[in-house]
Amino acid sequence: MLRVGNTFDAIVIGAGHNGLAAAARLAQQGRKVLVLEALEMPGGAAATSQIVPGYAAPAVAHLVEGLPRRIERGLKLGKHGLHYAARDVPTVALDRDGNHVLLPNNRKQFVAFSSRLPKDADAYRDYVALLRAQAALIEPLLGEAPPEMNDPVAMRRFFRRLVWRGELSGRAALKSLTQTLPESIGDRLDAEFTSPLLKGALAFDAIQGGAEGPYAPGTAFRAVWREAIRMQGRGLRQISGGTGALADALVAAIASQGGDIRFGTRVVRILVEGNEAAGVELADGTVLRAPLVISGINPRVTMLGLLGADRLETQAAMELHHAKPKGTLAKLNLALETAPHFTGLAPELQGARLLIAPSLREVDEAAMVCREGGFVSEPMMELHVPSVADPSLAPEGQHVLSVIVHHVPFDVDGGWEARREVFVQKVVRTIGTYAPGIADAMIAGEILTPPDIERKYGLAGGDWHQGDLRLDRLLGFRPSPAFGRYETPVKGLYLCGAGSHPGGGVTCLPGWLAAGKAGEGE
Amino acid sequence: MMTPETPLQTEETFAETERLESTSERMPAAPGPLESAPADAVFARAVLTSPLHLEVAAESRTNRWTEWNGYTVPQVLSNADEEYRALRGAAVMMDISPLRKYRIAGRDALRYLDRLVAGGMKPLGVDRARHVIFCESAGMVLGDGLLFCVGDDEYRLVTEEAHLAWLMDSAEGFRMRVEDVSTALAGLAVQGPLSAVALTQAGAAGIEALAPGEAANMSLAGIPVYVSRTGATGDLGYELWCDAEDAPHLWRVLLDAAAPSGLRPAGFALRELARLEAGHPRAGQDYLSAFAAIDGRDALPPAAIWPELEISSVRSLFNGGAALRAIRNVPPSRRIVRLAVEGFEPMCFSAVLSDGKIVGAATSTGFSPALGANIALAIVEAEAVAAGGLSVVAERWEGLSVVELPASVRVLAAPAFSHPRRVQHPAPLQP
Repeated sequence: MLRVGNTFDAIVIGAGHNGLAAAARLAQQGRKVLVLEALEMPGGAAATSQIVPGYAAPAVAHLVEGLPRRIERGLKLGKHGLHYAARDVPTVALDRDGNHVLLPNNRKQFVAFSSRLPKDADAYRDYVALLRAQAALIEPLLGEAPPEMNDPVAMRRFFRRLVWRGELSGRAALKSLTQTLPESIGDRLDAEFTSPLLKGALAFDAIQGGAEGPYAPGTAFRAVWREAIRMQGRGLRQISGGTGALADALVAAIASQGGDIRFGTRVVRILVEGNEAAGVELADGTVLRAPLVISGINPRVTMLGLLGADRLETQAAMELHHAKPKGTLAKLNLALETAPHFTGLAPELQGARLLIAPSLREVDEAAMVCREGGFVSEPMMELHVPSVADPSLAPEGQHVLSVIVHHVPFDVDGGWEARREVFVQKVVRTIGTYAPGIADAMIAGEILTPPDIERKYGLAGGDWHQGDLRLDRLLGFRPSPAFGRYETPVKGLYLCGAGSHPGGGVTCLPGWLAAGKAGEGE
Repeated sequence: MMTPETPLQTEETFAETERLESTSERMPAAPGPLESAPADAVFARAVLTSPLHLEVAAESRTNRWTEWNGYTVPQVLSNADEEYRALRGAAVMMDISPLRKYRIAGRDALRYLDRLVAGGMKPLGVDRARHVIFCESAGMVLGDGLLFCVGDDEYRLVTEEAHLAWLMDSAEGFRMRVEDVSTALAGLAVQGPLSAVALTQAGAAGIEALAPGEAANMSLAGIPVYVSRTGATGDLGYELWCDAEDAPHLWRVLLDAAAPSGLRPAGFALRELARLEAGHPRAGQDYLSAFAAIDGRDALPPAAIWPELEISSVRSLFNGGAALRAIRNVPPSRRIVRLAVEGFEPMCFSAVLSDGKIVGAATSTGFSPALGANIALAIVEAEAVAAGGLSVVAERWEGLSVVELPASVRVLAAPAFSHPRRVQHPAPLQP
């Protein structure tokens, strides 16, 4: 089967933003890189989709907040077409009565916040200060490969650095971090705040669409982790042309280095010779060879599906066997005839990130109902109108609305076939209570349940994060101890997706770090 | 999703049902649903009886019983010395049904074993047996056993301890099944210099043609029996495997037919002594399965137990392989050694000393008539073994008083008993 032109220096499986980032970095190092994508477009969860001709929306993820400047610069993404339509996108917690709360980012906004929630203002300032102090402690860990757990020297260095940073920032931060680790975000918020709306919004942000509810132990640390992810980038941003424009810029960066991408090409097997990666086999039987195979798709699918449990030692295979992907996020993209009018929302906040999480109790209930295989009648969600800052997404005067719905089960009671319509109606009706008339303004819409996301964008189990960002699945434990440093037991086979450190979000970090590891591993 | 996910899923559900089946098989005496049982019953050790229990009990002249793998087995049936003389001078018959037996079958069985067995699987012909060991991912020993190839793509693994969970966890991704056949299959060992004679007298014609480690299907008094030339006594010996229902009949046929050649039944104490003389460590006694070792130091790499095996140089993929290759040049800090203590009477000892400091523990001890000395299998710090000068403090009981006797110890290079007859082929039909 070996033919001229079928041999490469590195093959990347999956053209998600992490796979592309890995490929771009390797191509930059002068390697002959090939990216294989099963779908017809790049991006994975970071793609732009057309709802109907003329209306485009970010298909899955709609904002970026942790994309580091060094990756942007290193890959010259600006030159390759990455531009931002909006920077420092504000976050607003929507109130049913129109008394919305803008989570403040500066002094001026804080004054408004204090007058809206006088009882919680001081507590919020302390909360954010502590969150930032804690996040600052762990932030450097997110930008680098996790330490080798079996190497006592590396571990000692790791802890020494952590403790030193703690000492430098005053011991309080380190001490409070150890207190935070097992805490639940629900308990923490209950103790500090009174406003249900504020608590709901902060809990919503901390859980990030994970399967657990706000009272699950360890969720308080997730807020810290998210803050640390934010610190990798430069604030919440909207990419011009939709999130897919990032993928396009990465594709251009790869192409400029002579790398190649093949779409509609599904890998069915990773080939191994003498326990070293040798290449991949495609669905049509073609064999492509490379000493370096890097997978951006789900770790479990990569290792148990493409490689095979029989190619791993028993315990390594079992570690992944337990991590079954189950996404809990749905996506709704709507094409609107007119601008959505949210009652009581200031005009300059039309392009803000809008949270519907009216109270902590409702967030908790939504998570519980989801675990039982259902969805609540007023789901928790995150709304964004990308066409406010980026008019190119819709015809003039018209808009698109991008909605991420949290706590939606992968396997719904009664099956998605039967429940899909009910679900859409519930989501639209809920949005309607905040933006009356939205149903009439709808021209077209696209609903992506977790199984749809799996089918359409190739995310196994519809899981955006390739495994929950749980405390026991972070750093060197992500996705599991045997695969925690991008390397796998198979020489030359690496993982580079969101299932690896530092996890989900449009950060390109797992891909970037994995490529660094793969590059030095040679 | 990904197409390869599909076979994975089927494999999974398959393993699930398998697990259920075999649990019910392993606990046949469970009294109804678990809820109705008293709370501590879940953790209570099962009291099991071998399919040969009634036959064996009929031979007991001492009423001395002990426990082996949860089964009630005789310690001594008649007289320890007589049983030993029969083993070394004629032949003995022992019930070995409490051993665990697993059936591993399917088209990927060989590939599965190649990944499971430390050092990989060299080809094993049909009706051949081989000693295998298996390790976990850190390269520490989980257990050892005798692996039979009983047909095309069908294997039987006989082990001392239970390993079903590990065997099934390891099955993912392979097209094969693992079944616990411990209760369905009875085992009967016929060991000793006249064991071939005894079996010939019982109707196993041509038994002498079996080479060491070879097995054959035979019919003894109409009972289908799988006879293998295996055993851990350091002498000629056979093991007979048959359906649990046929086992009592087979026991009687053997006793009746082979009594003229001196065949007599024996208990577990003799099995232990013979194993000790032949120098074979037993799982759970002389070494701990890595999963059972609460103190990490008690988990041992293969080199600490079977130094003669060359495992860490094998480059293929097998459980523990990567870890063993990584520690290839690090000699184990403790190892199992065979010890002999000077003195003509049976003694008790456990601590192994060097310069008055405890450097090891004797895990199996016994008086070896073959060597005329107390012998032991002991786990001792490798440095102390190399330095020499080991000693023990032996206790000798006289009536109700005890004397402590310091005694020097030597490390045996060869087993206390190993007769060339063990590998003689064809097997001798004369004493």
